[in-house]
Amino acid sequence: MERDARTTTVVTGLGLVTPVGDDEHAFWAGLCAGRSAARRCEELAGLPADFACRADATDLDEAVGGRSSWRMARFVKMALVAARRAVADAGLRPESWDGGRVGVVLGVGVGGVAVLVDNVRRLDASGPQAVSPLLAPMMMPNAAAGEIAVDLGAYGPSLAPATACASGATALATAHDLLAAGRCDIVVAGGAESVLTPLVVAAFAQLGALSTRTGDPAGASRPFAPDRDGFVLGEGAAVLVLERAGHAAARGARARAVLAGSGSATDAHHPTAPDPAGRGARRAAEAALESAGWDGHQVDHVNAHGTATPLNDAMEAALIAGLFPHRPSVTAPKGVLGHTLAAGGAIEAAATVLTLEHGLVPPVANLDAPPAEWDIDCVTKQPRRQEVRRAVSHSFGFGGHNVVLAFERARHADR
Amino acid sequence: MSTIDPRITDVLSRTFKVPVAEIHPEATMDGLDMDSLAAAEFAVVLRETTGVELATGTLTRGTTLAELTAHLHAAAGTAR
Repeated sequence: MERDARTTTVVTGLGLVTPVGDDEHAFWAGLCAGRSAARRCEELAGLPADFACRADATDLDEAVGGRSSWRMARFVKMALVAARRAVADAGLRPESWDGGRVGVVLGVGVGGVAVLVDNVRRLDASGPQAVSPLLAPMMMPNAAAGEIAVDLGAYGPSLAPATACASGATALATAHDLLAAGRCDIVVAGGAESVLTPLVVAAFAQLGALSTRTGDPAGASRPFAPDRDGFVLGEGAAVLVLERAGHAAARGARARAVLAGSGSATDAHHPTAPDPAGRGARRAAEAALESAGWDGHQVDHVNAHGTATPLNDAMEAALIAGLFPHRPSVTAPKGVLGHTLAAGGAIEAAATVLTLEHGLVPPVANLDAPPAEWDIDCVTKQPRRQEVRRAVSHSFGFGGHNVVLAFERARHADR
Repeated sequence: MSTIDPRITDVLSRTFKVPVAEIHPEATMDGLDMDSLAAAEFAVVLRETTGVELATGTLTRGTTLAELTAHLHAAAGTAR
């Protein structure tokens, strides 16, 4: 389909902080290796889930540099590092861009819970004088968008969508809308989350959402496997530079992919359980296809939400089988990365862009054979070589939020 | 010649990443690029580190490190 350069949105940069590494090559190699990054964590000892997928490849304070890291919670540092990398990857120089035309949309589901916990302890132990005046500005979920705007000199709209585990995808969908409406030329968009604290792990465990395979952390995240028992908590950030195609072309920037469409819809069913019939997810997928101008049969690949919870994967597999009966390839990065909550949708969008670029689909970790329960084509054990022209990435969040992004291979990459 | 309490130097350099070369007795919060938010947090960290309560208004944009040192020592009854 011919697209109008004025309204088309392209991806010109990627930046990552993930449990399998922070530079793009390490991330891609880690995903394609198909081995889970989950491991035991000392600070989670004794909890029903004493393991997680930590993103600790980078010394964040050193990477943030300068004098301001003291005022940033961990999720903010991750978001900022990912944003700078994405902007550099896009070949953009913030010191010379028109900052009024640059937006920041950074999805965060929870925020700085470790800072909150620390200050609750201070209040209890030493009284109000011991509470940090920085507590509110450090823990607020929009701190990531705010600090990125400060760092880059981005004076356009900035937002922090909170749609739980769909937040990163909502951020990209919102950025897509801002660009299509002509409100920005560039939007720095993605998601970040870092909540690997005993409190949050205990809470998700009490909810029954986490895998409790304490003896086998690396085997715990098993998207679409018949013996899956919940997700593994992860942390990280991903930022994509989205740009109006005409703007990118005018500065000679190469599009890495086209964000051809996005769709969002709500279950309006239950706070945590997905609508078992997957009606909200289906509406989001249909809206994304319509937004992209695609028929379902044109979709070559699905980057699934695939959390490894019994409910999500059953709903999602049925959705994929129903909506895409031509059996596009399916992968689920949470097998390797764990569930990075708000970052997930953005990290998986980056993975989808890399699949389009490399013509390669990473396998689902811990899935030894295609699931017999549903007729979907999960890639298992090894990465699969596949010319992917059109792909969708699913993200679903507590609260009933469903977001589907539709990515198309960049034209110059057509083979 | 006035000196700086080493705990002040330590907090400024470790927590607030102030270059040690800039930390001298006559340096002010303003001069060290410590804005009002940073100064407020500095007061809390100093209290935690030294046990000395810094009353509101003790640490202003113009407060020098020599004055702050004198305040800490006076409050602790260990003026030298």
